[in-house]
Amino acid sequence: MRFRFGVEGDPVAPSEDRLTVGDPRVVDFLAGLARKLLAPAVARRHPELGSLGYFLRPAELKRSVARMTARQDALVFPRGNVFHLPPANVDTIFVYSWAISALAGNHNVVRISSRSAGAAEVILDALNATDADPVIGRTQRMITYGHDDAVTGALSRWCDLRVVWGGDRAVDTIRKLPLRPSARDLTFPDRTSWAVLSVPGWRAADPAARRTAVVGFANDAYWFDQAACSSPRTVFLVGGAGGGTDTAAVRAEFLDLLLDVVDQRGWTVDPAMAVEKRVNAYELAATGAATALDFPDNRLTAVTLAGAERAPRRWIGAGAFPFAEADSLLDLVPAMTRQDQTVSHFGFTPAELRAFAVELGGRGVDRIVPFGSALTFGALWDGYDLPAEFTRLTTLQS
Amino acid sequence: MSVFTLSQSDREKQLLPQLVDLVAHHRRHCAPYDRILAASGVPSISEMSDLPWLPVRLFKTLELKSIPDDEVFKVLTSSGTTGEVSRIYLDKAAAATQTRQLGATLQTVLGPRRLPMLIVDTKSILKDRRSFSARGAGVLGMATFGRDHVWALDDDGAVDLDGIRGFLAKHGDQPFLIFGFTYLVWLHLYEIAREHGLDLGNGILIHSGGWKKLVDQAVSPEEFRNRLAAVGLTRIHNFYGMVEQIGTIFLEGPAGGSLYCPDFADVVVRDPETWAELPPGKPGLLEVVSTLPTSYPGHVLLTEDLGVVHGVDDGDWPGKRFSVLGRLPRAEARGCSDTYRSAEA
Repeated sequence: MRFRFGVEGDPVAPSEDRLTVGDPRVVDFLAGLARKLLAPAVARRHPELGSLGYFLRPAELKRSVARMTARQDALVFPRGNVFHLPPANVDTIFVYSWAISALAGNHNVVRISSRSAGAAEVILDALNATDADPVIGRTQRMITYGHDDAVTGALSRWCDLRVVWGGDRAVDTIRKLPLRPSARDLTFPDRTSWAVLSVPGWRAADPAARRTAVVGFANDAYWFDQAACSSPRTVFLVGGAGGGTDTAAVRAEFLDLLLDVVDQRGWTVDPAMAVEKRVNAYELAATGAATALDFPDNRLTAVTLAGAERAPRRWIGAGAFPFAEADSLLDLVPAMTRQDQTVSHFGFTPAELRAFAVELGGRGVDRIVPFGSALTFGALWDGYDLPAEFTRLTTLQS
Repeated sequence: MSVFTLSQSDREKQLLPQLVDLVAHHRRHCAPYDRILAASGVPSISEMSDLPWLPVRLFKTLELKSIPDDEVFKVLTSSGTTGEVSRIYLDKAAAATQTRQLGATLQTVLGPRRLPMLIVDTKSILKDRRSFSARGAGVLGMATFGRDHVWALDDDGAVDLDGIRGFLAKHGDQPFLIFGFTYLVWLHLYEIAREHGLDLGNGILIHSGGWKKLVDQAVSPEEFRNRLAAVGLTRIHNFYGMVEQIGTIFLEGPAGGSLYCPDFADVVVRDPETWAELPPGKPGLLEVVSTLPTSYPGHVLLTEDLGVVHGVDDGDWPGKRFSVLGRLPRAEARGCSDTYRSAEA
C-alpha cells in the first residue's frame, strides 16, 4: 500500500482526532490547495484543475459550510469515516467528493488508482505541498493499492459511508464486500448525458452568442474524451418546425463552428480513437439506429439517428455526435431514463426548461445546465445533496 | 503452379470488377452491411482504394453474414484479448474455396506434394477446449498441408529434443515443412538447433504470429532470417493473415523482407488522418482486400495493424510488397467508469 497523501499507518486504526463540520483547519488547508491549483502554470496545463481550484476557494467553502450548518431543527455533525473509491480515469473527481467530505469533518480514506496520471499527479503534488495542520495528515489519507479485496473489505467495515464511483460494474463489484450494519453506500453508477439545442433559439442568437455556446459545448464534450458521466453525447435539435432544411442548416453551422473551435484549441483525436469511432458508428448504422454517418475529420464524427428513442447510451468515442430531432423538449421526456444525468442546453427559455424538468418528474435527468457547465461539479450531484450525505443530524429538543 | 503472378495493373483490372460485384452481392444479402454503406455513402468505385472498407473489429460485435442460417456450414472464431471474438460464417462453397486457395498459396513455396511436417508447438493446444484459440486453429489449418506430423514441444511446452531428432533422422534428407508461431520458432527451435547442431537444411519454414514478442527481445525480421540461416534454415516464409479473411494469406517471398499478395488479394495502406491511400514508403493503416469472402462481407477490411508498401512489381513476385509494422494501440477513454475490478476478475 502506497500512501500518496497523509500519515502512513493503519488507516482503519481507531483515532482520537476530532474534526467539526467546517473545521477551520480543514478550511485553511483546502484554501491553500485552491491557491496552488489556481496558479497560472497549473491552470494553463490542466484547465480542469482551474475549475477545481475555483470550487475550493475560501468564499465558496464558506458558503458550503453555511449551507451545511443552516438547519435550526437539528445539530449537524460529521458522518464519521468515509471511504472513497473514485474512477481511475477522471482525474479530478476524487478531489471534489473528498473535499466536501473533509469540509464536513469526516475522516477520509481515498483509494487512488495506480493508473492515475496527469492531472491526478499534479493534484497529489499540490496536496503534499500545501501547509497543513498535523491533524489533516492523520485524518485524511489517499492510498494506492492493487485490486486487493482484503484491503477494500477492511476499509468497507471501517467506514460509515462508502462512496463508489466508476459505473455499474464497479458498484456491483464493491457491493459484494459488506459494510457494517449502520453504514451505507453512496453510489455513482453508469450515466449518460445529452445536449439539447433550440433551433429557433439558435436562429435568434447573434454570431457571438452562437460561438460562445459552441465553445462551451466543445469544452463539455472534449475535455474528458466525451466519456465522463456528464459529457454530452447525442445532440437533440429541438423545435425546428417539423425538421427539414432549417434544422439541417443549424446542425451544419453548429458542426462547422465546433470543428473550428476544436481546431483553435489544437485538440487532436488519434488514429486508434478514429477507428473506435468508426466501429461504433458503423454498429449504429448496422442496427438501423443511424441513417447517415459523416466523417469530415478524425476529430469530428456526426451521426444522424433514426429517432430520438434510438440515442445510444454507450460511449461512441471522443468527438462523436449523434443527432436527433424533436418538436419540443417535452417530446424528449419519454426517451429519458433513470440512467440519464445531465442535459446541457442552449437557446431555450427558462419556462421551457422548467416545464421539461417538471414533466421529467425526477424519473430521469439530475442536472439541466447551460452549454459549458456540463462538467462543472457541484455539491448537488447525481441527484444527491452531497453535504447532507456527508453529515449526520442530532435531534435536540429541550 | 503459383498464385503470385499478377502485376499490379493486371491485378486491379481483374479484381476490381469482381470486388465491385462483391460489394453489390453483400449489400443484397447482408442487411447490416447494406445499412452501413447506405448510411456512410459509397463513392463511385474506379480503383481499389475507392472500395468501402469495414473495420475488422466489427466482426466481433455484429453478426455479419451473406448467407441464410440454414446454409451456414462452419462458424470460425478468433480469440480476442478482451473476451471479444470474431465470428465468421462460411457456407460449403466458401469453406472449400478458402481451403483450396490457402493450399494453392502455400504450394507456391512447398511444391505440389504434401511434405513431412514438424510443428513447433505442443499438442496440448488442441486438447484444452477452453484455450483452443487462433493458435490451435492455425496449427490445425496448416496441418492439412503436411504429413507425418511431429510436435516439437511436449505437453508441458518443453522442447522434445528426441522427437525432433527422430523426425530429422526419418525425413531430414528430403524437403520437409516446419510450421510454428514466430516467437515459438525463435525461442525453441532456433536455440535448440544451434545448441545441438541440428541439420535443418532441407526444411521450409512457414511462420506467423506477429513480431511483438521478438521486437521486445530486439530481434528484427532480418535478424531472425540471418540467425536461422546460420543453422542451415534458409527457406523461410513469414505470412500475415486473419480469420476475418480466412483462406487469404500474404506470404513472404524467397528473398525475405516483404510480404506479397496472392492473385486474388491486394493491400491498401491508408493515412490514418485523411484515410486516403498512401504511396509506397509511407507507413499507415493496413487494409486487406480479397475476393474470397462470399459468405460474409469480409472482402475489404481495415485492420488495426500498421504497415508499409515497399514497392510495386519490383520484388520476388509481382504486385505490391509490404511489411506489417505493428499494432495500432487500442483507444482508451478517460471515462467515469472503470474504477475497480475485483482481484478475481
